[in-house]
Amino acid sequence: MTLPARQPAWSASFAASAEEHLDDVYGYLVYLTRDRSLAEDLTADTFEKALRLWRRFDPARASARTWLCQIARTTALDWFRSEERRQKREERAAPPEQIDTVFADGLSPDIETALAELSAGEREVIALRVLLELDGEEAARVLGISPTAVSTRLSRALRKLEEKVSVHV
Amino acid sequence: MSETLLDEIRAAKPAAPPALRERVRTIAAHEPARAPFLARFERRRLLLVAPAALVVAVVAAGVIGLSRDDVGGGSDQQAASSGSSRTGVTHSLEAAGSAQDAATASPSAAPSSSAAQAPTTVAPVAGQLQRYQAELSLRLDDVEALSGATKRAQQIAVAHGGSVSSLQYDAPAAGVGTAQIVLRIPTARVQGALAQLAALGTILGQRYGIEDLQQQADSLQTQLEQAERQIAQILAQLGSPTLSDENRAVLQSRLTSARQKLTGLREGLRSTNADARTATVYLTLTTEEIQPASEGGSRLDDIKDVLAWEGIALLYALVVAGPFLLLGLLVWLALRLRRKQVETRLLEQN
Repeated sequence: MTLPARQPAWSASFAASAEEHLDDVYGYLVYLTRDRSLAEDLTADTFEKALRLWRRFDPARASARTWLCQIARTTALDWFRSEERRQKREERAAPPEQIDTVFADGLSPDIETALAELSAGEREVIALRVLLELDGEEAARVLGISPTAVSTRLSRALRKLEEKVSVHV
Repeated sequence: MSETLLDEIRAAKPAAPPALRERVRTIAAHEPARAPFLARFERRRLLLVAPAALVVAVVAAGVIGLSRDDVGGGSDQQAASSGSSRTGVTHSLEAAGSAQDAATASPSAAPSSSAAQAPTTVAPVAGQLQRYQAELSLRLDDVEALSGATKRAQQIAVAHGGSVSSLQYDAPAAGVGTAQIVLRIPTARVQGALAQLAALGTILGQRYGIEDLQQQADSLQTQLEQAERQIAQILAQLGSPTLSDENRAVLQSRLTSARQKLTGLREGLRSTNADARTATVYLTLTTEEIQPASEGGSRLDDIKDVLAWEGIALLYALVVAGPFLLLGLLVWLALRLRRKQVETRLLEQN
């Protein structure tokens, strides 16, 4: 009889956390980047980083979802930086690529268009508070700002989104 | 904001494609062994440093304070009273635990009745030329006793063949009365005098010093004999009838110089012998109340002292490192601000 490999109690936690929060991380990155293909790559990068940092994760300080979103944000910002540098180098040689934005299946074209016209900063706060339904404290932790600032930023983003949706309708 | 719009956004939450899900599962399959408990709290471990350092500081202060030696041991006395004084080193003994003496003595006891508390004296070595000094501090109950003790101290000095070199007596109507007396007593009889002086009051402190004068006296004696031989030779030469006037004048000059030197050496030897013959006793009498310090209190004071020094060292380190720490903090804040600005710009542009 073959005994199953003995595993510590925590050993499945990263895999379980990854499985549980994959859609959240991916959805957040889709909203942040407006590019589903890019969001897939960044999501994979995020979980690779998270795996390396997993031993430092402290559940007492933040939930796994918040922690993963923080890493996702850092990963996306790193990509934005490198992309900015690349575009500066190549802007004379080739025009920037046009992104065919599709946030999610099931969203009306008006909302898709309105979302695409928002800035990444506005989209990310909508993603965190509306799409992922993080509370103000969690969203503030991800964004590195105060809960009050999150609330202000969210209300402005939603007002702008509504205006743009009404224009497109 | 219309709830319909929010509901639509929530309902259309992007789902990770199966390929991505499989990719993430593959990544998660390489999960490493988790670090030990403490390794997961690297930042928190820093927070442990401050209380740990505090505990170490207090424990160190306790250990150092408790292991301190308060009173000079009797070995000093033994060394001083042995023949080691030939080396010319000054030996001294100080009764630092004087407050304990005060505490153990009965405050109501008359000064004359405290003869039982014999002073811890260092006796000069017989047959050796030594300069002997003693300092004795005594407490008296009141100004009346102070006056009596001052008179009695003078009598003791005279009775032992000595004299009073100086005396300062201060006894105000209210407050602390003091008398400072310097006595010159023959060294051979100073031990007896000290024993009687110590019985005048409660001993607060005592200090003895012995300086070897034997080498100095031997050296002076040798030089003196050389000078005498030199003078005898010069006198012999001067007695020669064939001596020229010029040489005679030179020898006369040398003779004068040698005689002056001889006089100086004799004076020096006489002074050294006089120093050795007479001991100096500095006697301080006071009516001041000395608060007895308990053993525990003394230890606590030592611990407080060490803690105070640790605090000073810490303050010094902070003063030295402070500007660098401040500079580092400012650089860190500037970098953080810059990073925030870049992030904001990137999020605005994309």
